[in-house]
Amino acid sequence: MRKHGIVRILAVLLTAAFAASASCAQALHLPPHEKVVLKNGLTLLLMRKQGVPMVNFYAIVKTGSAADPAAEAGLASVTASLLRKGTKSRTAQQFAADLDFIGGSFDAGASGDYTGISAEFMTKDLDHGLDLFSDALLRPTFPQAEVEKLLAQSLDGVKAAKDQPEAVLGPYFYGYLFGTHPYGRPSDGDEISLKKINREAIAKFYETYYTPGNTILAVSGEFNPTEMKQKLEQALGGWQGKAATAVAIPVAATVKGTRLLLVDKPDATQTYFAIGNVGTTVTDPDRVAIRVVNTVFGGRFTSLLNEALRVESGYTYGAESEFDSRKMPGAFLIASFTKNETTVPAIDLALKVLEEFRKNGVTPEQLASAKSYIKGQFPPSLETSGQLARRIALNEFYGLGDDEVNELAARIDAVTPEIAKRVIEKHFPAENLVFVLIGKASEIGPAVKKYAARQDARNISDPGYWPPEGQ
Amino acid sequence: MNKKSARIAASAAFCALLLCALSARAQDEAKQFPVAAKTLKNGMKVLVQPDHSIPNVALYVFYKIGSRNEHPGTTGLSHFFEHMMFNGAKKYGPGELDKVMEANGGSNNAYTTRNLTVYQDWFPHSALPLIFDIEADRIEYLQFDPKKIASEREVVASERRLRTDNDNEGLLDEQLWATAFIAHPYQWPVVGWMSDIQHWTMEDLKHHFEMGYSPSNATMVVVGDVTPDEIFGLCEKYIEPIPSHAPPPPVTTVEPPQLGERRLVVRKPAELPLLMIGYHVPQTNSPDFYALNILRTILFQGESSRMYQRLVDQDQIALDVSSYVEPAFDPTLMIIEAQPKQAVDPAKCEKEIYEELERVKSAPVTDQELEKAKNIRLVEFYHQMRTISGRANTIGTYEVFFGDYKQLFEAAAKYGAVTKEDVQRVAKAYFGESNRTVATLLPQNEEKAKP
Repeated sequence: MRKHGIVRILAVLLTAAFAASASCAQALHLPPHEKVVLKNGLTLLLMRKQGVPMVNFYAIVKTGSAADPAAEAGLASVTASLLRKGTKSRTAQQFAADLDFIGGSFDAGASGDYTGISAEFMTKDLDHGLDLFSDALLRPTFPQAEVEKLLAQSLDGVKAAKDQPEAVLGPYFYGYLFGTHPYGRPSDGDEISLKKINREAIAKFYETYYTPGNTILAVSGEFNPTEMKQKLEQALGGWQGKAATAVAIPVAATVKGTRLLLVDKPDATQTYFAIGNVGTTVTDPDRVAIRVVNTVFGGRFTSLLNEALRVESGYTYGAESEFDSRKMPGAFLIASFTKNETTVPAIDLALKVLEEFRKNGVTPEQLASAKSYIKGQFPPSLETSGQLARRIALNEFYGLGDDEVNELAARIDAVTPEIAKRVIEKHFPAENLVFVLIGKASEIGPAVKKYAARQDARNISDPGYWPPEGQ
Repeated sequence: MNKKSARIAASAAFCALLLCALSARAQDEAKQFPVAAKTLKNGMKVLVQPDHSIPNVALYVFYKIGSRNEHPGTTGLSHFFEHMMFNGAKKYGPGELDKVMEANGGSNNAYTTRNLTVYQDWFPHSALPLIFDIEADRIEYLQFDPKKIASEREVVASERRLRTDNDNEGLLDEQLWATAFIAHPYQWPVVGWMSDIQHWTMEDLKHHFEMGYSPSNATMVVVGDVTPDEIFGLCEKYIEPIPSHAPPPPVTTVEPPQLGERRLVVRKPAELPLLMIGYHVPQTNSPDFYALNILRTILFQGESSRMYQRLVDQDQIALDVSSYVEPAFDPTLMIIEAQPKQAVDPAKCEKEIYEELERVKSAPVTDQELEKAKNIRLVEFYHQMRTISGRANTIGTYEVFFGDYKQLFEAAAKYGAVTKEDVQRVAKAYFGESNRTVATLLPQNEEKAKP
C-alpha cells in the first residue's frame, strides 16, 4: 500500500467531522430533496436516489459527547451503543437476529457536537427495517445486564486501542489541547470515566436529549417518497418528549506558549506525533479558503508536509494536516510518525514547513492545483445514498444550506491569492504550539524537551488520557 | 501491503462471487451495466463499464505479480516496486506523476498482496487522456533513480513499523503465516522482512520489472463516466504499442500437507493478549469457496453470528471475534482472530472457538441461518456495486482470480446451490486439529519503576 497518511488517526477521533470531506465539482448538485417537520418537532429530510435497491437512514440527535458530565466521559457514546441492546419489544439478541436476517445494519455513536445513528436496509425489507430503526431510537430499555456488558467492553476497547499508538494519538492530543473543555474529553470514554457511568445516568441522558424536537432524520435511497412519508409519519409521529435544552459549548481559547506531552510506550520503534492548536468552526466564513490552503499545506499526497517528510526525506510513510472544525472551534493539527532515531529531524522539518508556509504562502500554481484537486475528488464523496443522507443531515444540523454543496465549486474558484494569504496568517499557528508524542521515552525524551516551555509525561498504561485523574 | 488491505480485497472478491448470488435483481443489474471487453494486441485485457451517475472515472490495473513470486533475500520486493512505480519514468520524472495527476483533479493509490499488485486512479473525466499518458509512460519506461530508491526504502520501512512492528495484530499475523507455511512463498510478509527491505538492489528492481510488468500480465478495468469506444481508442494509442514479453515463471512450490497442529507465542509489552488461528483452505477458484464463505458468515458475521453470540455476548470472554480469507491463486489460510478481554486467558477463547467449530461439524446449520447468510452476502454485493471504485475492484478481482469476469454471472447458481450439507462438509474438511496453526500474543510488561 502506498498511501495512508494520518487519515486513520483522524478517522478515529473525527467520527463525524463534517469538515474533513472535500468540496465540489462544477457539475455536481445535490439531488432534489424535501424537508418535512412533523407535529412532534421531528425534522425529516427525504432524498430519492437511484442506484442499488437499498435505503439509508441517518439520524442526528443534536447532542453529543460535549454534554457528557466531566467525570463521565463516554456517556453519550455508551447511550448510543445501547440503543439496540434491548427495546420494549426485542432483547438485544432478538434485535441482532432480526437485523442480520435481512442483511441490515444499525450503528450509533457520539462525537463532540452530536450523536449519529445510521441504518441501512434493502428496499424490499423497508417495513421491517423501519420497525427495527424506530424500535431502537424510540423504545430502548437499557437492561442492566446489557449496560454492564457494554461498559466492560468499552473499557477493554480503550485498552485495545492503546495497543495501537496511532489509534490513541487523537484522544491524547484532544485531551492535552482542550484540557477540561468538553472537546477535551474522549468521546468513547476512558478507563476511569467508564467506571463511573451507570444505568441511571444513561437513561437520564436518553430521556433528556433523545426527543423528536432535538432530532433530524435524513432518508436516502430507492423508495417512493409519498409512501415513505406516510411510513415515517406512522412510525415516528407518535414519538413524544420534552424539548431538550441545547447544551452550551464554550469557545476554547487558543493555547498560549508551547507545551509538550510525552506518552511513553516503551516498546515503540516509531514515534507518533501531533502538533497544533485550537482551530475553527464548521461555519467559519473562511471555511472554503481554509480547505483550499490546507490542501496545499497538508491535505493531499503532494502537500508541502508530505513532500518534505515523506517524498524528499523518507522520514515517514505519511504526514498530513487537518482542520477538525466543529460547532465551536475544534482543532488544527499536523500529524505524522517516524522511527525513534529521526524523531527530532522529522519534527524540526514539520515546524520548518509550517514556518515557511506562513512566510511564503501559496504560489498561483499551488492554488490552481489545489482547487482542481478538491473539485475533481469531490463527486465520489457524495456517490452513495448513505453519504448523501449524512451530508444533508449535517447541513441541516449546522445550519448550512444546499449551497454548501451546489455552490462550492464557485466558492473555491473565488479564493484569490490575497484571500489565501490572509487565511494562512489567521488560521495557521505560529509560536503557540501544543505537541503530543507517543513513543519510547527513554530514547527520545531528552531530545524533544527543546520544543516546549512546559513538559508533561505519562505512560501509555496509565489509566485515562489527559489530564491525569484528579487533576 | 498489510492484512487490513488484504481484507478489503478479500471482501471484493467475495462480493463478486456473490454477484447475483441469490437474486434475479442482481443479475438484472449486471445486465444493466454491461461490461465491454477487449484484449489488446500486446495481450493486455481491458474491461470497461460505463456509468454516468457522477462525472468521475475509476481506473484499476491488476498485475498478476505479488509476494508469491518473490524469493528469500528479496521478500517485499513486489510491494517496494509498487512504490517505485510512482517515482519517475521517461516523460513524467520523479515526483511529477503525483503533481500532474493532482493538479488535474485526480488521485491515486496502489496495493500489493501475496498474489497481485494493483494500481488505482480516481479522476474526473477531463483527465482521461492524461491518465493514459501517465500509465503508458510508467509501464514502458520506468526509471530507477538511486536517490529515490534510498528515500523510498525508508518510507517502506516506516510503513512496516506502522503496520507490523508497532501493531500487535500485524505482528501476530506475520508470525502466523510464517509458521503455517514451510515451503510455499505465502510464508513471508507482503511488506518484506526488515533486513530484506534494507538490502534490495537496483538490479533486483530491474529484474522484477522485467519479470512482472508485461502488458500480457495485466488487466485494466475502467468504470465510470466513459464509453467503451473512448477507452479502447485511448488503449490503441497509448497502451497497445507497448511490447509484450514473457510473464513471471509459474510458482511451482506446493505446500505439503500439514501433519499436526503448530503453535507459536509472541511475548511483548501490551495492554491485552491476542489470538489468531489459521486453517489451510483451498485457493479462490475452488468449488468449496462458496460453501466456506457461507459458513464464515454464519459463524462470524453480525451480532447474531454463532461466535459473537457465544464469546462476546453470552460468555463475555472476547471483545471481538472475526475471520478473513484473502483471494489467492494457491491454497491459502482462513484466519480466525479473537481479541480476549482483559484477564481472560486466550486459551479460554481458543477452547470456545473449537467447540463452536465442532458444533457446525456435528450438526447441520439451520435453514434460517443459511437464508440469513445469503441475505448478508447480497447486501455486501450491493455495497461493492454502489461505487465506481468498488465495481472496478470487483470486476478486476473476478477476472484475475476466476480467469474470466463473466463467471460472475454464474456465481448466482453456485451460491444458490449451497446446502446445509455442503456447509457441514467443508467444516469437517478444513477445521481439523492437524490443519491449524495457533498464534497467541501474551503481554509481557516491564516492571514499572516505582517512584
